[in-house]
Amino acid sequence: MNFNPNDLVGILPAVILTLGGCALMTTEVFLRKDGPDRRYQPFLAAVFGLIALYVSLSQLGDPSATLFAGAAVADGIGRSISAVVSGTLVLSVLLAAGYLETLSASRGEFYALALFSAAGMCLLSQATDLIVVFIALEVMSLAVYSLTAWLRKGTKPAEAAFKYFVLGSFASAIFLYGAALAFGAAGSTRIADLALAVRNANAGSSMLVYAAGALLTVGFAFKVAAFPFHMWVPDVYDGAPAPVTGFMAAGVKAAAFATLARILIGGFGDVGASMGPHGWQSLIVLLAGATMLVGNVLAVPQRSVKRMLAYSSIAHAGYLLVSIAAMAGSEPRQDAVFGLVFYLASYAATVIGAFGIVALIERKLAPTGASDDLTTWGGLAQKHPLLAAAMSLFMLSLAGVPPTAGFMGKLGIFRAAIEAGLVPLAIFGVLTSAAGLYYYLRVVVYIYMVPSTKPEPVVGGRMLTAGVALAACAVLVIWMGVQPGAFATLTQSSLAGFGK
Amino acid sequence: MAETILFYIFAIGVLFAGAQVVLRRNPVHGALSLVACFFFLAGTYVLLAAHLIAILQIMVYAGAVMVLFVFVIMLLNLKDEELGTPRRTIWKGIGLVSVVGATGAVAWRGLGSAYDSVLAHGAATQLTDMAKHTLPGAPFGSLKAVAHAVYLNSVLPFELTSLLLLVAVVGAVVVAKGKI
Amino acid sequence: MNLQACLLLSSGLFCVGLYGLLTRRNAIGILLSIEVMANAANLNFVAFSRYSGAGYGQVFALFVLALTVAEVAVGLALVMALFRSHRDALVELASAFRH
Repeated sequence: MNFNPNDLVGILPAVILTLGGCALMTTEVFLRKDGPDRRYQPFLAAVFGLIALYVSLSQLGDPSATLFAGAAVADGIGRSISAVVSGTLVLSVLLAAGYLETLSASRGEFYALALFSAAGMCLLSQATDLIVVFIALEVMSLAVYSLTAWLRKGTKPAEAAFKYFVLGSFASAIFLYGAALAFGAAGSTRIADLALAVRNANAGSSMLVYAAGALLTVGFAFKVAAFPFHMWVPDVYDGAPAPVTGFMAAGVKAAAFATLARILIGGFGDVGASMGPHGWQSLIVLLAGATMLVGNVLAVPQRSVKRMLAYSSIAHAGYLLVSIAAMAGSEPRQDAVFGLVFYLASYAATVIGAFGIVALIERKLAPTGASDDLTTWGGLAQKHPLLAAAMSLFMLSLAGVPPTAGFMGKLGIFRAAIEAGLVPLAIFGVLTSAAGLYYYLRVVVYIYMVPSTKPEPVVGGRMLTAGVALAACAVLVIWMGVQPGAFATLTQSSLAGFGK
Repeated sequence: MAETILFYIFAIGVLFAGAQVVLRRNPVHGALSLVACFFFLAGTYVLLAAHLIAILQIMVYAGAVMVLFVFVIMLLNLKDEELGTPRRTIWKGIGLVSVVGATGAVAWRGLGSAYDSVLAHGAATQLTDMAKHTLPGAPFGSLKAVAHAVYLNSVLPFELTSLLLLVAVVGAVVVAKGKI
Repeated sequence: MNLQACLLLSSGLFCVGLYGLLTRRNAIGILLSIEVMANAANLNFVAFSRYSGAGYGQVFALFVLALTVAEVAVGLALVMALFRSHRDALVELASAFRH
């Protein structure tokens, strides 16, 4: 019997989030159909999220520990990502509260599924066994598919959810096939054993190892929406409720990138010899370059801000891939790991804020059946100057303009890339992100320069909880931009125990 | 020898039924072919000494998944014109040939030659205990051996699967509801 | 019967599923194709487990069985949601691969 109760402490954030989901499910039974007594649900979910956030932050400095006989690990990057995911969850449920109430779709299951999905994300970032990776990936994905189909208005949500499901399951099947080949090469599904098999690979089994690595990477490339596996993103991000889109963009990306880094560095870090001095690095470089280019180019013609943000999330996946490429090697490069974690945190705060404001506009438009277009943003500055300022801040941060979080994030990643000798990739990244300025600033122009076409307010519904969440996002974005050193413990502890 | 013949019979059955799954227009035919495909697959599992997996494959797929599929198909009550007309494009053919060719080549030339190294790794002493895990007195693939590995050495995946099933139940119920 | 034959069968089955996923236009057909692909991967686990003697492959196969069933449950629920909003199961998957 290999169970040690202390192992539960290592996965405490996931345990807390699961318990929170169960608590919401249990209390849901006692509620009337459409009573006002549902108001507490988002706050209960947020409380569990905050506890998980607190736990993962307080464990940050602890030494790394192997859990469940090597199936998972409590290390720096797992804890940092758990903190990012928990924070993402708190902000998203607060933004969802008013949104769902306005569209009369407020149910406890929404928050329960969000909590379960966050638990899956935390475990995914801590998994060191491909079977745990796979199950955690499915927990996260199944919950997010259901959240995508949450609204019953029009054809878009169901279509988006089904498309997401089909491509997500396709990615899972590919990942599974890769895991099977990895098992064939290593005789085990532990990432550590895989590293051993990679190191000892001979002419025969290296084929097996390459195929396994390629299939596992493709599986994750779907999840993080890297080119050429990005085609599901615009429709899915557009069809999902805006708070869920923010949660998807921030949380799923954070967990999937941490795991991709863990598999590539921890498992395939030693691929070398027959594949060139840097192993798979050149492939990731190509993937990153193409993803940055495609995301930024396709975002330019978009008239809907929600769709534009979807394409921009592809571009951001490209920047994150740059940091993965910069990590390459049997020992991960420190500054690239810091860059990855900081970028994920800064992107989470920014993108949730941006989708939060999209949510405020969307819930106003939803009864009319209209979709969000740049013209609907006109006049926001006159009627809601604070929201306009916040949206401009988020756009500037996504574009990477100082002094925002996005600038510091890009700085960290591109600096790491240059130090890793990937100068052309870094220059290419800077150029594409400069091209991104155009479509981000166009939103700001519409907010401030274009007058409103209709007399009624641009946004609708109760705003208090959403306002609190947006304020938190804005504060985080400025804070991370002005004083990145304050987040040093979050990023720098992420290296502990990572790699081997 | 008998095993080899059986294996090839099952393999042809798997591929033929699998092709029926993806080629039949009628979803009921597709679902029934899927069950046939998985029966043949269960046969190969028996030949590979995975008796528990084989019987579970039949019970889960014939007993649960098939019923679920057919139930949903009946519930939706598809009319013939709603099934769509089959498209025959040149891309289908090209895609099929290239995909099968590429994977077949990899499996035949590359992965097959890895066979020896797989055996070599199995014998390697460097692997962690889990990889080498065997239970004295329980033959390979027996219920006892698999149960030992599942319940004693896979605590986290096992518990995580229960969370997955909970999520699937909640998600399916919520999504299938007509009104939130 | 050897490992090569099993791997070839598994990759053939995977290709069949992949072909179905790319060409089926019917939502149920797409789900069936995904099932075929997942089970092709499972065959790999069982085959590798048999020939390398690492019994853990069967455990993985067992979990995958549970996982694919859970996936089917959610997938079929999504098909029903799709039908409710569309009244036809024709998903233009072509549009999934379009921008």
